[in-house]
Amino acid sequence: MERNRVTSAIAGGIAGTAVLTLLLILLEVQTREQIRAFDVIARFVGTPGQTAVGFVLFVLAGVFAWPLLFVALRDYIPRGPDPAAQGTIFAVVLWIAFAIAGRGDLSGAILILYTAYTFFAHLAYGFTLGVVYGHFREGSQVPREYYAGQ
Amino acid sequence: MVSIDSVPGVVLGVALLAVLAGVGVVRRRRAMADGGYPTTDERETETETEKPFGLVRWFTTVDHKDIGILYIVYGLVAALWGGTDAMMLRTELITPGKTIWGTETYNGLFTTHGVTMIFLFALPVFFGIANYFLPILIGADDMSFPRINAIAFWLLPPALVLVRGGLITEIIAKVISPLGLTALTAPLLALKPIDISWTMYTPLSTAVANPQVDLALLGLHLSGIATTMGAINFIVTIFAERSEDVTWATLDIFSWTMLTTSAIALFAFPVLGSALIMLFLDRNFGTAFFALDGGGPMLWQHLFWFWGHPEVYILVLPAFGLVSLILPKFSGRKLFGFKFVVYSTLAIGVLSFGVWAHHMFTTGMDPRVRASFMAVSIAIAIPSAVKVFNWMTTMWSGRIRLTAPMILLVGGIGTFIIGGVTGVFLASIPIDLLLHDTYYVVGHFHFIIMGVIAAAMVAASYYWFPILTRRMYDQRVARVQAVLLIVGVVVTFTPLLILGYLGMPRRYAYYPAEFTLLQQIATAGAYVIGVSVFLWITNMIQSMRTGPLVMNADVWNLKETGQFTREWQWFEERLEERRSFERSESGTAPPGDDD
Repeated sequence: MERNRVTSAIAGGIAGTAVLTLLLILLEVQTREQIRAFDVIARFVGTPGQTAVGFVLFVLAGVFAWPLLFVALRDYIPRGPDPAAQGTIFAVVLWIAFAIAGRGDLSGAILILYTAYTFFAHLAYGFTLGVVYGHFREGSQVPREYYAGQ
Repeated sequence: MVSIDSVPGVVLGVALLAVLAGVGVVRRRRAMADGGYPTTDERETETETEKPFGLVRWFTTVDHKDIGILYIVYGLVAALWGGTDAMMLRTELITPGKTIWGTETYNGLFTTHGVTMIFLFALPVFFGIANYFLPILIGADDMSFPRINAIAFWLLPPALVLVRGGLITEIIAKVISPLGLTALTAPLLALKPIDISWTMYTPLSTAVANPQVDLALLGLHLSGIATTMGAINFIVTIFAERSEDVTWATLDIFSWTMLTTSAIALFAFPVLGSALIMLFLDRNFGTAFFALDGGGPMLWQHLFWFWGHPEVYILVLPAFGLVSLILPKFSGRKLFGFKFVVYSTLAIGVLSFGVWAHHMFTTGMDPRVRASFMAVSIAIAIPSAVKVFNWMTTMWSGRIRLTAPMILLVGGIGTFIIGGVTGVFLASIPIDLLLHDTYYVVGHFHFIIMGVIAAAMVAASYYWFPILTRRMYDQRVARVQAVLLIVGVVVTFTPLLILGYLGMPRRYAYYPAEFTLLQQIATAGAYVIGVSVFLWITNMIQSMRTGPLVMNADVWNLKETGQFTREWQWFEERLEERRSFERSESGTAPPGDDD
């Protein structure tokens, strides 16, 4: 019943992208559209001004490109063999790129919130990606540890 | 005609459906698999398999433990949302002028922060902890009314949606706007987040046009009903469901505080509910309860604070109970003066109804009435101080173990002393006339709410984590988190006290430039609290999934001091049942299995 790695990764990507998108919409509304998260996305994927195109690229990357890259690089990502922990590490790298490339002309105090919340949203993306991927892939079993007491 | 708004909406919809389908697949697969991935190794023993599977279990459960977890998760969601409001508030206050948002958003933020934290976060979390542990502590099979218990919880999610409606509706409107249904999106966008402060004073609250205020009032009413139902359930459970060997003399301290809290809630919340309905009628049906030639704005303040001040004790008593329960475990001694801790709890319960008008000293009420409220307000400090002394004497010459829960409790007692003593000053009329509606008041109650109340919650999460998850968390991260939380609270709220002394009024987005440094220190402290919350969440989630499995129920070495209390004994039985189940399944004995 084990699914192949590509399908599992894409399933993880779909779930992760859904979570990330939801969090970004929430961030957008909660900050009363000060961050303009979808313009950030457009700048991040290199299509400033064309938000719709940018968003499509964002989804494609979140569903296909990053998850596949994640699977390819898994052996080199620390904190294995738990794919969820590795996914969060992987997402931190994505976040650094996202935060820098998408910053645009945001400056001042809003940058603090922008940085913190996009960081959290990316961790959620990586974690979801890893958890869903791990569910489909039984090969990635984490060794059981027992608590030895104080 | 593809607008930007259309893309996220459609994609999100498709993606959510895909996730749901995915979850379904995973659930089915999990049901057939035996073992494997860490989160799926929760194979169930025979007594655990009677519950329905997957999501259905959580929507239909009447098990007090499941409902307790639902409460806690719900409270956590509310806390994160209210915490987001707080972070935005503090960010706005980094500079004296407009930093990011104007006054309108700022007013909305402090309103929703207060409402979310007071109504939707604090009490649900304590009700959750009590739901899980109180029946076990008193030897009951379940709560007295399991179905009412479930209903009481399930009233809360709609309450959250109604209260936070302004933002939720905006998200929905954004998602469905590409479909071009302006008839649908326009009313959704008309709902703005409420900005009348959590106290909802009239005449402002009757005058604002925003229809979201009405929805919020209904949501708050709903949460009040939920609380009342929960309170009745706790009272009856403690009276009627105790096991035979649990008498009033041997009832544990947490159950005592939950009993008192529930009793206060039973008397206070119906008053709030009535007041909210009266306000709702004033706004929509032309009644004149709070109009000038009706009851007047003062009537609202009396009704509101008749609930509002007991509510303070409703929130703090369970926290006191947790401190009194957990502190002795890491001091190696019994709780000092148990009886007096109980008496002081009951005294607070009674006195809490005689202090409400100290919120109204500046309204020009009769000085004789004012003096009597001052007397009771100062008197209520005594039972609180009794508790503090009992906690200190419990630790005195004890064998202190600075685990994460202990750090939080000791720090929480420290912040409670600051919060409590500043409260005694506020209870004094002449001082209150000076400090009323300044940052001093905000600093005072946050030292208690973010100090002892939040600290006790987190301490309980650490202390009972092995029972809740059968796993252990990362204790080093937990200790760092505990220290960060306490430091963050002190750094955030001490400047607020000073700002209040300097005369800075609360609830302003803009402030004179001389207060900048103090405001910035407070903001930095708030970010420290944010970091500690982040550490707590990651530690909890990751440990729940992959933390080392607990095989010996005496996680905290409580047996050696004779404090291996009922909930741990219950846990030991469950572990034993599980171990024999695993032995029969795999034929190999896990470590720690001495048989």
